[in-house]
Amino acid sequence: MTEIIISVESLTGGYDGSVVLDNVSMDVLKGEVLVIVGRSGCGKSTIMNHMLGLQKPYSGRILFDGTDIWSSVQSLRAARRRWGVLFQSGALLGNYTVLENVMLPLAEFTDLSRAEMMNVALSKLEAVGMDHAAFENPLEISGGMQKRAGLARAMVLDPEVLFFDEPSAGLDPVTSAELDETILSVNRALGTTLIVVTHELASIFAISDRVVMLDPVERGIIATGTARELSRNHGDTRVEAFFGRKIGE
Amino acid sequence: MHKQQHSDCIQRNQSCKGLTVTVVVHAKTEAQNNKYQCSQNRPPDNVFSQPPPPGTLGILTIIGGISNRLFPEGDAHTVTGQIDISGGTIAISGRFTVKDLKEITTRFEAVSVEKLQIDFSECQSLDTAIAARIWSITEGKRLRGTVIEFTGMNTDIKVVFDKFAVVESIPGFPATQHSLRYNFEDIGDKVLATWETISGLALFTAKAFKALFSGKVRGSITGYYMEQSGVMAVPIVVTLNWLMGVVLGYQAGYQMSQFGGELFMPALLAYSICWEIGPMMTAVLVAGRSGSAFAAEIGTMKVRQEVDALEVMGFNLYGYMVTPKMIALFFVMPLLVTVANFSGMAGGLTAGGIFLGMPAEVYIAEAKKALIPFDLYWGIIKSYFYSAIISITGSFMGMRVRGGPASVGRATTSAVVVSIFLVILVDALLSLLFIQLRPGLSL
Repeated sequence: MTEIIISVESLTGGYDGSVVLDNVSMDVLKGEVLVIVGRSGCGKSTIMNHMLGLQKPYSGRILFDGTDIWSSVQSLRAARRRWGVLFQSGALLGNYTVLENVMLPLAEFTDLSRAEMMNVALSKLEAVGMDHAAFENPLEISGGMQKRAGLARAMVLDPEVLFFDEPSAGLDPVTSAELDETILSVNRALGTTLIVVTHELASIFAISDRVVMLDPVERGIIATGTARELSRNHGDTRVEAFFGRKIGE
Repeated sequence: MHKQQHSDCIQRNQSCKGLTVTVVVHAKTEAQNNKYQCSQNRPPDNVFSQPPPPGTLGILTIIGGISNRLFPEGDAHTVTGQIDISGGTIAISGRFTVKDLKEITTRFEAVSVEKLQIDFSECQSLDTAIAARIWSITEGKRLRGTVIEFTGMNTDIKVVFDKFAVVESIPGFPATQHSLRYNFEDIGDKVLATWETISGLALFTAKAFKALFSGKVRGSITGYYMEQSGVMAVPIVVTLNWLMGVVLGYQAGYQMSQFGGELFMPALLAYSICWEIGPMMTAVLVAGRSGSAFAAEIGTMKVRQEVDALEVMGFNLYGYMVTPKMIALFFVMPLLVTVANFSGMAGGLTAGGIFLGMPAEVYIAEAKKALIPFDLYWGIIKSYFYSAIISITGSFMGMRVRGGPASVGRATTSAVVVSIFLVILVDALLSLLFIQLRPGLSL
């Protein structure tokens, strides 16, 4: 598990001219579950948006399998074909059923017949325990179900990397734990590299192989390591304050 | 300096002795044992009136927003406050809460001297809002040339006032409304925003047309929009244009009948409907129905991160979200304009028959005599321009949505306003061309 799949090199970025991340560098290893944590406003979602190519960094590079994703439109497009994303809200299209949402990437990027697409999509929905709601309108199912359906859509083209933006947000602890299990099963069963942005301690401890902690004042990374390493006598008061909630339990 | 000399109610004793003006805002005696005796609609003290726990300091921060009351240590009196204005000195004593804001404002603004001293030495406590108001009024006076001096401030009050000064000096801190700087910044912001809209719309248009000619046609989505923007719009287009025809036919016919020219009404109506009213009314209706719907749909998708999801999945956003709308309007707009033209003409026929007693065959014959095929084609030609304007502007405004649902509403409004503006602008330009092109009209 030492091969680097994504490399962030000296990234400086943010929104509308404001610098949220300043000269940040980090690597993502193939097959690992990397969790990006930190307080609100530290740049967790920003770094993910940069890695996804939704925002162009002010400076620095993001290499996916050795290629700078911003070097050309083609390289960004090629990279995007190899990853999937689960957004906070699930980001399912309200005009389509759950099944049609999952079929969407197949219809766009493959020449499968409709029946074949349905088979693939249903198998993915089954994998996340959502096959029973295939014909529901995504706006009429619960938040947890929307996220599961979103995960099925993200997985439908069997991506090499899956990004998760606050997967536990808005979910009760039980549903959140179930989603964590599903996320983890994707990694364990398929070897998919997972990059998860969250500040939920329970999720961090449940799924992470490695944790990167960002800080809003430093505008960069202040700690990396396993969740256990960071939670035990790390020495940095900011890290201890973040993980201290767990220690106190 | 006056201290708590009045015990019951609010009193305003504007003494004529010299320049001394005494204002007792709220005053009570200790004997009343913290009960309000004032009958001036003064509500009981709220939670902020309570003294702080022993040993705690009062407010220490404005920016942090933790507390909102300036409490000196160990003080446990009820809320009373007094302002003494004497020449160039305003002495504040007692306690002031946010309820005294209006009184403070009135009294402070009334003072007009070259040098003003504000004495806080007898001030027991001050709500942050009161402090902010005193700061802003005195700062305004200072900018107008008054020399301001604060005296007798305890540490808590001084810290807060110092923070007001720091906040004002932060680069980029919004200027006070109505100030010169504010107005200049406002003008600059609006110019920049307009430029960003124009340049953004131009770039968006280029990308949309590129996607239109290079991407695949999404039949089912396009069909959906053709139904929504075309078929569903027919009833309203027909009704409104027919009504326009009735109104124009009646008014034109009535005026013309004054000098026996009602026979020219069909021609006048045919020209005005086919050249302007039909295409323009259709464009306005489609901008209102479909342009706003496009903006709202895409804007909502932006808010729900659906657009991000599509982008990350590798979809060409222009090809997926914009070109189906462009194609749909490209096909339905000419049909709607044609329907609108005939509806308007039918309205004129109705008006002619009812109000002028004009037989239908006469109306039709006169209208046919006036019109040439170019007149009908012209409306169709214009509709292609309008369809591009409405679909692209609606999509552009939707794509510009950032933040929450409120911005979707703004995008919807902007889509309609900008679309109609551009439609009229293009119509004006095309009218110049029309004069040159139409047989029999060249100057």
